Amino acid sequence: MRLRALLAKELLDLARNRVALVPVALVTAVSIVVPLIVIVTVPAMTGRSLAEGSGLADAARLLGIATTLSDEALTQLFLFQQFLLLFLVTPITGAMSLAAHAVVGEKQARTLEPLLATPITTLELLVAKVLGALIPTLAISVGGLALYLAGIAAFGEPGVFAQMFSARTILLIVVLGPAAALVSLQAAIVISSRVNDPRTAQQFGVLIILPLTAVFVAQFTGSWWLSTSWLLVTGLGLVLAWVFLVLFSVALFERETILTRWR
Amino acid sequence: MIVASGLTRQFGTRTAVDDVTFDVRRGEIVALLGPNGAGKTTTLRMLAGLIAPTRGTVTIDGVQLTRATGGKLRGRIGFLTESPGLWDRLSVRQNLRVYARIYGLADPERPIDTALDTFDLTPHADARAAELSRGMRQKVALARALLHQPAILLLDEPTSGLDPEITRGVRRLLEERRAAGASILLSTHNLDEAERLADRVAVLQGGLLALDRPAALRQRLTTGRLLVRVAGDPAAHLDAVRRIAAAAAVDGPHLVIPLERLEQQTPAIVTALVASGAEVLEVRPEIPALEEVYLRLVNEP
Repeated sequence: MRLRALLAKELLDLARNRVALVPVALVTAVSIVVPLIVIVTVPAMTGRSLAEGSGLADAARLLGIATTLSDEALTQLFLFQQFLLLFLVTPITGAMSLAAHAVVGEKQARTLEPLLATPITTLELLVAKVLGALIPTLAISVGGLALYLAGIAAFGEPGVFAQMFSARTILLIVVLGPAAALVSLQAAIVISSRVNDPRTAQQFGVLIILPLTAVFVAQFTGSWWLSTSWLLVTGLGLVLAWVFLVLFSVALFERETILTRWR
Repeated sequence: MIVASGLTRQFGTRTAVDDVTFDVRRGEIVALLGPNGAGKTTTLRMLAGLIAPTRGTVTIDGVQLTRATGGKLRGRIGFLTESPGLWDRLSVRQNLRVYARIYGLADPERPIDTALDTFDLTPHADARAAELSRGMRQKVALARALLHQPAILLLDEPTSGLDPEITRGVRRLLEERRAAGASILLSTHNLDEAERLADRVAVLQGGLLALDRPAALRQRLTTGRLLVRVAGDPAAHLDAVRRIAAAAAVDGPHLVIPLERLEQQTPAIVTALVASGAEVLEVRPEIPALEEVYLRLVNEP
């Protein structure tokens, strides 16, 4: 009940401050447009096939991705799947500023003290803060993903759209994305409750993006392929990391330090 | 009932509150007085379970306030913080609704409507908190503290920023809560308010300097004066008065008579004057204000 009350407040507050969601919407828009430009528009404008000399179709076959498709379709599929990883980063980059601001923002607005004087627990407070940042950004991200898939259906080679719905893709979207976002946002909340300035929180928060960028680059260069089993293990690891971070953030959240040293 | 026992709080090497012991009984208002930095807010925060004492204990209705009991006990406390702390983008009603739900009120809209009505906030219920004046924000914060009808009220300067009419309304409300059995501790710089409202006053300056009824403190720490105007030369009756109060003097048309027990000694003075043949035109007791008591306490070396 208390968690729901605070979560409802977070969502309402955000609804009254929609500008805060513009960065999320922008990152999502970029995540939709850039792949379509690279994979569909540029080859159409240059008249050069994607598959021509890239070797990506062979790489896709080696990885066991939809071997029945034509080289062009397979190359598109491979690239569309790689760009899908952008949707992992989208909810995180967008929500980071929200999460980073979550606790320190309340400190600065002096709204934290009356809240802490209620029976609300630290766990409820911190989880509400994370979910308050996660839910709207995830919703935008899912909307963006639907548009991305619609773009593939409209402009992709025949058969590419249908092949996007593999176990790997679903795991990536349903498990890994939200789990990675939870971990990142929880880490941002930890930072937010330990600093006195939202800018500091945001700057520390940027560091959380780095490992995800590394995964993204590793995928593209082929140095680490996130197979279905890898995705499962990583997803599970992230969920465990989130649970650990929740406990860690509760332990680190010192009510009286926050109240007495917030200036 | 709140009992603070040997409450001490240190911040590094600085002692903000030093060995403070007092209680606030059921149906009682205690005013916490003291200069800025005297430890009033720290004391209130310790009583609300927001910060832990370095030493000493807080007991609320027989239950010691600890980390384990804090959550449950906070549900019985209404705490008005130094700053109203409203969510600016939310409306007045929405601000109150979040707290009503956090306190687990079964039918949140009813107490919210009552609180809005009590503080004349109904016309502003849908206004965003950011649009409110300072006084209005303070009223919303007070409404929030009273929303769940707490048995314990801890109020940090409740009438700060309020106009006289609203201030009177708040005082009336606190008197009603007192009559309903609530234990109320409020900090204030307004000595007149403390005098009018509080059953007892606690003067704090790091440690507890005094705790008593305002009248008892006055009697203990200050001397009242009796001003008597008589027909003719007052000096002619000075000797008669000095037999009771040696420090009596003449000031213009008045006899000025310092008395330790003003109420009890006044009839004897009048009797002595009449016996000496004086025609008494006016007898005016001068009771020192609480301010004098306060200043004396906090300025004593």
